[in-house]
Amino acid sequence: MASGYDRALSVFSPDGHVFQVEYALEAVKRGTCAVGVKGSDIVVLGCEKRSAMKLQDTRITPSKISLVDTHVCLAFAGLNADARILVDKARMEAQSHRLTVEDPVTVEYITKYIAGVQQRYTQSGGVRPFGISTLVVGFDPGTKVPRLYQTEPSGIYSAWKANAIGRSSKTVREFLERNHKEDLPRPDTIELAIKSLLEVVQTGAKNIEIAIMAPGKEIEMLASDEIEKIVEKINSDKDAEATQRRAGRGGAATGAQGSEQVLASRPAGEGGPAE
Amino acid sequence: MRGATILKATEDKTRPLNKHTLMAFVGEAGDTVQFAEYISANIALYSMRNSTQLPPYEVSSFVRTTLAKALRSKNPYTVNLLLGGFDTRTEKPELYWIDYLASSAPVPYAAHGYAQYYCLSILDKHHHPDIDLEKGLELLRMCTDELKRRLPFDFKGVIVKVVDKEGIREVEWEEGKQMYAP
Amino acid sequence: MDALVAQYSQPSHSAPDTILEDELALSTKIAPSLSHNFELPPVGSHSAWLRAMTDDHSNPSCPIKIAHGTTTLAFRFKGGIIVATDSRATAGDWIASQTVKKVIEINSCLLGTMAGGAADCQYWLAYLGMECRLHELRHKRRISVAAASKILANLLYSYKGMGLSMGTMCAGVTPTEGPALYYIDNDGTRLAGNLFCVGSGQTHAYGVLDAEYKYEMEEEEALELGKRSILAATHRDAFSGGFINLYHIKEEGWVKHGFMDTNPIFWKTKLEKGEFSNVTSKLD
Repeated sequence: MASGYDRALSVFSPDGHVFQVEYALEAVKRGTCAVGVKGSDIVVLGCEKRSAMKLQDTRITPSKISLVDTHVCLAFAGLNADARILVDKARMEAQSHRLTVEDPVTVEYITKYIAGVQQRYTQSGGVRPFGISTLVVGFDPGTKVPRLYQTEPSGIYSAWKANAIGRSSKTVREFLERNHKEDLPRPDTIELAIKSLLEVVQTGAKNIEIAIMAPGKEIEMLASDEIEKIVEKINSDKDAEATQRRAGRGGAATGAQGSEQVLASRPAGEGGPAE
Repeated sequence: MRGATILKATEDKTRPLNKHTLMAFVGEAGDTVQFAEYISANIALYSMRNSTQLPPYEVSSFVRTTLAKALRSKNPYTVNLLLGGFDTRTEKPELYWIDYLASSAPVPYAAHGYAQYYCLSILDKHHHPDIDLEKGLELLRMCTDELKRRLPFDFKGVIVKVVDKEGIREVEWEEGKQMYAP
Repeated sequence: MDALVAQYSQPSHSAPDTILEDELALSTKIAPSLSHNFELPPVGSHSAWLRAMTDDHSNPSCPIKIAHGTTTLAFRFKGGIIVATDSRATAGDWIASQTVKKVIEINSCLLGTMAGGAADCQYWLAYLGMECRLHELRHKRRISVAAASKILANLLYSYKGMGLSMGTMCAGVTPTEGPALYYIDNDGTRLAGNLFCVGSGQTHAYGVLDAEYKYEMEEEEALELGKRSILAATHRDAFSGGFINLYHIKEEGWVKHGFMDTNPIFWKTKLEKGEFSNVTSKLD
C-alpha cells in the first residue's frame, strides 16, 4: 500500500479514501459468513460457525448471534472481539432507551445507534474502526413486520429483505437474489437461510447456527439436529433435481457450482457423533 | 400522596427484576421509581450480557451495593425495599429486607414502616417455614385486617403478587370489609 | 460554579462521556441533553436558601415573591381527555395577572398544564416542547405521552431539592397509547392516571370532579364537568380565578373550547341552576 495515507485514521487520501475504513471492510470479508432473511412473519439469522478444534468446548464458546434486547437480535462478521464491545454498547443503549422513553427500541433506532458508534470510530483520533459488519433483525414493539438491517465499519446502514455479510458474502447474496421471494412462510424462510449458507459452508449442519425471531416471542435458536434435518432435506432435494436433470437433458449447464458436495467432508479431527 | 391529597390509589409499587425476582419499594417520592427502574434495567442488562438470570441472593447484593454507593454520594436514594425471589437452583423461595441505609437481611417474612409494628408479631406467631400458598395468603389477610383495624389512616388496599417457580404473577385480592377495633 | 452544575447535570458515579470510555453501568440519572449552564447561588442548600428568599407564608417581607397559585385539572374519558385551568397568577397576596395561559400547547396532540412557579413551568415546558420536536425529527414519528412525560420527570428529578416548583400534567392522544395522562411534579413523581387536579385549588376541583366523574361520559357532559370543577375552585380558592381555559384532546388533536370569564359563568350557574346558594343576590 502506499504513501502514509493509510496510517492516521482521520486523514483522507488525495483521492478521497479513508484507508483504515477500507481495511476494516477487508477484515469483515475475512470473517465467517452471516445471513439474514425476512419471511412473511418471521426473520431468520444464520451464521457460519468456525469448526471447533478437538479440545475446544463448543458448548460455552460464545456465539456470533447475540441478543441486543428481547426483541432485537444481531449477527456480525469480522473481528469477534470488536463485536463484543459494539454489542455491549447496543445492549446498554437498548436498556437506556427503555429507561428514558418507556418503550423498547425500534430495530431501526438501534441500527442507527450501532452505525452511529461505528461512524464515530472512523472520525476520532487514537482509535481504529470496528472491523465488523452487522445484521440487525427483529420486530418493532407491538408490530408484526419483520425488520432486517445491515451496518458497516464506515457507519453506513441499510435495510434489506435478505442479505449476507462476511466471507463469500457476494456469492451468498447473489444466491439470495436468485431465490428470495416476497412473503416466505416460516419453513421456507429457514430453509432459504440454511441453503444460502451452504453455498459457503462446506461442512454442513455442524457449522451452522440459526436464530429465529418472531413477533412477541423470545429468540429461538434452532437445535443442531433440526438444522441437520433441514440440511439433509436440502441435499436430497438437490440430488433428486440433479438426477432428474441428468435424465432429461444429460448433464446440462449447472446452476450453483460446488453445491453438490455439501456435507461431503468434515474438518479433520472433528470426530463427530454417529453419521 | 401529596400533602393532603391521594393522587392515585392503585399505583403498582413493585417492579419485576427478572423472571423470578420481584422488588417492592416505598419511600421518597421520585426516588422510588427512579431507583427501581435503574435496578431493573441493570438486571435486564446483566441477563442479556451473560445469557443467564441472576439469582435472588445475587440480585439482593447488587441492590444493596447500589444503595450503599448512592448513600455515600451527593444524592442518596431514600428507598426501603423488599426483594422476593425464587432460586431455581435450590428450588427455594427467598426474601430480603433492605432499607435505605443499605442494610440487607434474608428473612422469612418482612415489613417496612408502621406495618412492622403490627404485622411482625402476627407473623412471628403464625408463620412456619413450610406453609403453602393458601396459608400464606391467609396470613397476609390477617395482617391487612389488623392494619385496617389499628392504623390511624386508611391505606387504600393492597396489590398482591406471588413469586414461585413459575415466575411472578398477580393474584386476585378481594378487598375485605371494613374492620373496626373491638 | 460550573463544576457545581456539572455535578448535577451528570450521573453521580460516572466519568465524562468520551468515546473510548467504557460505560460500565447505565447512568443513574438522565441528564438534560443540552447543557444548561445555570448560575447557582453560592450557598450550601439551594432549596433552603430559596425557601428563605421566597416563602412569604413564614416571612411576609421576603425579597422574591414567586408567582404561584393555580387550579388545573385533566381527566380521561371515553371521548379523549379534557384539560381545564384557571388563569390567575399571584405573587404573595398580589394578583399578578388574570389572563395567564396555563395550558401549554406542546404539539398538535400534546398539552401540558402549569401549576407552581410560573417561570419554572413556562421555561421547562417550552424546553419539553423543543425536546418533543427533536424526538419527532430523530425518530420520524410523534413522541409518546409516556416518553414526553418521562423527559420532564427525569429532568425534574435531576434538579430535585434545588427549589424548582412545578406540578404538571402531560396529556395527549397517540395512535399507540390512545388517550394518556401523566402527572409530574418537582420531586420527580410521575404517575399515569385517569384524573388529576393540581394546584392550590385542587381540593375544590376534586370535590366536584370526583363526585360526578365517569369514564363513560359524553363529550358535552365532560366539557361541562371540567368547566364546573374549575369554577368551583375559582370560587373558593383565593389564588385561583380569572378565566377558564378549556381544551379537549381527541385522536385528531386538541380542540380549544374557549377562554371564558368566570364571572358571568358563575352568575349564570347560580341563577339558572340554583347552585352556589350561599351567595345571595338579594341586597336586603
